[in-house]
Amino acid sequence: MRDFFTVSILVATIASGIRLATPYLLAGLGETIGQRSGVLNLGVDGVMQLSAFFSYWAVLETDNLWLGMVIGLVVGLVMGVIYAVVTVVLKAQQGISGIGIFLFGLGFSDLMFRRQVGTPKPANQLPEIPIPLLSDIPWVGEALFEHSVVTYAAFATVPLLAWMLRSTTFGMNIRAVGENPQAADSLGVSVAWNRTFAILIGNGMAGLAGAALVLELGIFQPNLTNGLGFIAVALVYFGAWRPVGIMSGALLYGLVAAVVLQWKAQGIIPRGASDIAAMAPAVLTILALIILAGRVQAPAALTRPFSRH
Amino acid sequence: MSSQPMLEMRGITKRFPGVIANQDVSFDVSAGEVHTLLGENGAGKSTLMKILFGLYQPDEGEVIWQGAPTTITSPSEAIDAGIGMVHQHFMLVPTLTVAENVALGLASGRRPLTDLGAVSDRIREISEQHGLAVDPSVEVWRLSVGERQRVEIMKALYRDARLLVLDEPTAVLTPQEVDDLFVILRRMTSEGRGLIFISHKLHEVMALSDRITVLRNGRVTGQTVPAESSREQLAEMMVGRAVKLTPDRPDVTRGAARLKVNQLSVQGDRGTLAVENVSFDVFGGEILGIAGVSGNGQREIAEAVAGLRSPVSGSQILFDDENVANLNTKQRRARGLAYVPEERMKDGAVGDFSVSENLILVDHGTDAFTSSSGLFKFDAIKRHCSELVERFAVKTPTIDTQTSNLSGGNIQKVIMARELTAEPTVLIASQPTRGVDIGSAEYIHSQLIAQRARGTATLLISEDLDEVLGLSDRIAVMFDGQIIAIVDADDATREGIGLLMAGVVEPTG
Amino acid sequence: MTSNRHLLRLLALLFSFGLIAAACGDSTDDTSADAGETAESDADSDSEDADAGGDTLTMAIVAPSASDDLAFTQSMIESIEALDRDIDLQVTDGTFVVDDAAAAIRGYAEDGVEVIVAHGTQFGGPLTEIAPEFPETTFIWGTSSDTQGLENVFAYYPAADQGGYVNGVLAAAISESGKIGVVGPVEAGDAVAYINGFAQGAMDSGDVEVAITYTGSFSDVALMAEAAQAHLSNDVDVLTGSSQAVVGAVGVASENGVPWFGTQANQVPLDGELVVASQVYHWEVVLVEMLDLRDSGTLGGQAFEITLENGGLEIEFNDGYELPEGAREAADAAIAGIIDGSVDTGA
Repeated sequence: MRDFFTVSILVATIASGIRLATPYLLAGLGETIGQRSGVLNLGVDGVMQLSAFFSYWAVLETDNLWLGMVIGLVVGLVMGVIYAVVTVVLKAQQGISGIGIFLFGLGFSDLMFRRQVGTPKPANQLPEIPIPLLSDIPWVGEALFEHSVVTYAAFATVPLLAWMLRSTTFGMNIRAVGENPQAADSLGVSVAWNRTFAILIGNGMAGLAGAALVLELGIFQPNLTNGLGFIAVALVYFGAWRPVGIMSGALLYGLVAAVVLQWKAQGIIPRGASDIAAMAPAVLTILALIILAGRVQAPAALTRPFSRH
Repeated sequence: MSSQPMLEMRGITKRFPGVIANQDVSFDVSAGEVHTLLGENGAGKSTLMKILFGLYQPDEGEVIWQGAPTTITSPSEAIDAGIGMVHQHFMLVPTLTVAENVALGLASGRRPLTDLGAVSDRIREISEQHGLAVDPSVEVWRLSVGERQRVEIMKALYRDARLLVLDEPTAVLTPQEVDDLFVILRRMTSEGRGLIFISHKLHEVMALSDRITVLRNGRVTGQTVPAESSREQLAEMMVGRAVKLTPDRPDVTRGAARLKVNQLSVQGDRGTLAVENVSFDVFGGEILGIAGVSGNGQREIAEAVAGLRSPVSGSQILFDDENVANLNTKQRRARGLAYVPEERMKDGAVGDFSVSENLILVDHGTDAFTSSSGLFKFDAIKRHCSELVERFAVKTPTIDTQTSNLSGGNIQKVIMARELTAEPTVLIASQPTRGVDIGSAEYIHSQLIAQRARGTATLLISEDLDEVLGLSDRIAVMFDGQIIAIVDADDATREGIGLLMAGVVEPTG
Repeated sequence: MTSNRHLLRLLALLFSFGLIAAACGDSTDDTSADAGETAESDADSDSEDADAGGDTLTMAIVAPSASDDLAFTQSMIESIEALDRDIDLQVTDGTFVVDDAAAAIRGYAEDGVEVIVAHGTQFGGPLTEIAPEFPETTFIWGTSSDTQGLENVFAYYPAADQGGYVNGVLAAAISESGKIGVVGPVEAGDAVAYINGFAQGAMDSGDVEVAITYTGSFSDVALMAEAAQAHLSNDVDVLTGSSQAVVGAVGVASENGVPWFGTQANQVPLDGELVVASQVYHWEVVLVEMLDLRDSGTLGGQAFEITLENGGLEIEFNDGYELPEGAREAADAAIAGIIDGSVDTGA
């Protein structure tokens, strides 16, 4: 245990936790916006897999990481348009539609990978970009300010989205259509458009999350997300539909996972307990968020399609 | 009243496949006037209002607004034109503040940011001007029902609605809150605004209206003013025949206490105590009415007595002196329980089932309907159900018709028929006539009176104070999970009960 | 109502699209239909050395991961392709759900396929039900060291500890910090054999510490990558790992310039410079024996092991990595020692 409490190990562990948290955070924040507007998207994982593949493929072909991220975002937005058509225009049952998106993403990314790439080939990885001055702060700098641009963006989005929900007309409309779409509609607030925009934000961020995941690793594999998108959806519930709550959940999840890995590497966790320890991030995060979140209610119109008559 | 009406709907006809919802309906409102639209469910009131708000387009006829023919195609156009609506089910977002609810849908002065400061200032101005006390910074879920309604009116006033439609605005209010509302509404008409008041509560209609238009089956069946009319006349215009609004209550000798409830505490859906330490008896041949604003524990009492909700331990429920608190619903039914639940399509009947299936829903397993080999005795079932349909005057094409195709009143009669054939000792009737047409309500009331004559102990739970006053022998008033008074019906007044419903225990005088 | 109909149609479309995509992703079917497009599954009579004579043997393989995973599944497909025989091979891969695999195995048996490879320890349960129903069919199942008493099942398993030991010897020779990191999935199967052999080999040949992390998942690539990162923060300067999820860990090794040892298949394509050596499985060695037994009327009932000795295991070195002096010799000595029994891999 003494080995763990050294500066360099703690710094490495925190940095690792932040890296692990990033895709959860991006996907969870996006899902939060969608759910605040009353739309549940269980397809996050599928969107992430699709965008991860196309992002990886683009980088593999062009070596252009920026293009990879843009492609990830665009794939997310395209899936968002499809999901909006299905759930907002056609008013399909959201749970099953999301599973459809997930299956599509899982299958199509796998198919495309085999057709277009075949054997896993390493692609460029996102570089760590130390933030000038801040990264010079002893210890803290290395843990917090030497990450990829996507990680910075993900964390910067937290206050941005919180502010958007609280202080902008768009945010207020999102909250209104998620709680009582009839009321919003009766005042001329378009439920369909606001939900569509929220879905686009959510899927776009899921797309970025997929790109962040794959470009951090530099390699794609079928079912790369390994259920990450579903955990992100769960984080939204436990994070009480608030950006800061999602961030706490994602960070806790990532940090616990990083600590567990570090303790395994140092032999602090006996090998026999290895599989049980693997569950620790999920269990601890859920417990902590249940205790902290208290009795927060879901958006009242969550999963309910809106129609006038 | 100015010579030119502010709104005129002329010769409106709206057809739906198989139904004429409005036929040649003409209706107008002048500035400063309360014009009431009266009619049963399905009479065409809401179709007419939906046309006014652009949700439907009329097949024939025209809408003339402020003197000019107008086509309104969406609610926001109506709002822009100066027409507002207070819906029966409030159109509020509970998690938003009052100011946010008011600002919703309006252009902000600080785009893309909201401008709640300015909105709040204006709300305070309007509050003062109209005597509408609302705090703009509070989230709506914290407000009482009466306060929420003021927010709805605030939303209309903020948009400077010249004409305001109030759809059943008093349904959820205590009598005192109704009085307060009427004061506010009167102040609005005195400013030259027009009001369309939609209600079926006849004494309120008589009290507030300047003019009354009655609709039945999509047509205007009469237009009158309160001074030249009576409640009975209005009811007759609504139903098409003479209606007895207050049932005769013949003298019945009171029997022994057949239902005793001692120290009953029940948890509500939120896990807190919805009913706290309530005790009362209901005697044979008696109807005990429970009055109260909804959400004060009435539903939980009904469900606890019916065995659908477990009471907190220590509570006692006795049928004919036998404690049934630990028995399930089936066992309680075997001891004479009959239950007409509040939500008839959720708890009372299965919509997808035929009328006859719903009629034998409780005792389909008994020897009367099931042979020893486990098969239904279809002949016996058919005979039984046909007889019930006739006896309870259920209007249905056949006994095999799917129940959800019947009207609310007829579904309620199916439930009453099923529950009352068992000759109950304890009858719980929860909101027995809510959403039911006047004719069916009259019939249901007569059946409750008949049970009373039979010696049944009846617990009547209703938000309709007239119903409670008209049927009950004694009236228990619930407030905040407790019975704060039980009064003899002969001594009860609307005002006295109303004060109790608001939680005022010691009425002055 | 019309919007409902449209909705149904669109949903159906979306679903079938997704399912088709999933199905295509799962299986690269029948080589005769696909000939030339997917080289991996091309093991049929077209190959030039189709001189075994006699009839074409029909074979099928059901495998949990992708046929080109640079690991477990690929090793078997390549082995079948390498067989000097006239084979019509059908492939169902990516069936990580055991029930799907069971259905595929039964389907092939019903179609009359003569030899069915159930490539995954987890398929043993379904096999105990399916194999007795098709007594004429030979089932080849692994990795497992016994046939569960089934007469028409051949079992196969790798002595993964042997190649692990050799890799360990090499790793100890390369490491300067004296710390070596291992990432594994779940503590079971041949991952454990490889990892334990690796640790034994490293510790037998020098004063080194071997840190082992099992992530708890066969498929969590990101977690495996961070497990490798955790090792690096503890001054580890050589890495190895087992399972399909190691691709992320190899990426970490690449990023940090740390040498990597592979197993199950040659992992040089993942990094041409830092993959030092890989233990490669050549199942064909035992497949040949099984098929010969079948030809002579024995449909199953025996278990086979691939080892360094029988050539089923091979250490493939990367010419692009320059080994320190003496390392190659130490490795060769270890291989010789394992073959003649003088070296104990600890298994």
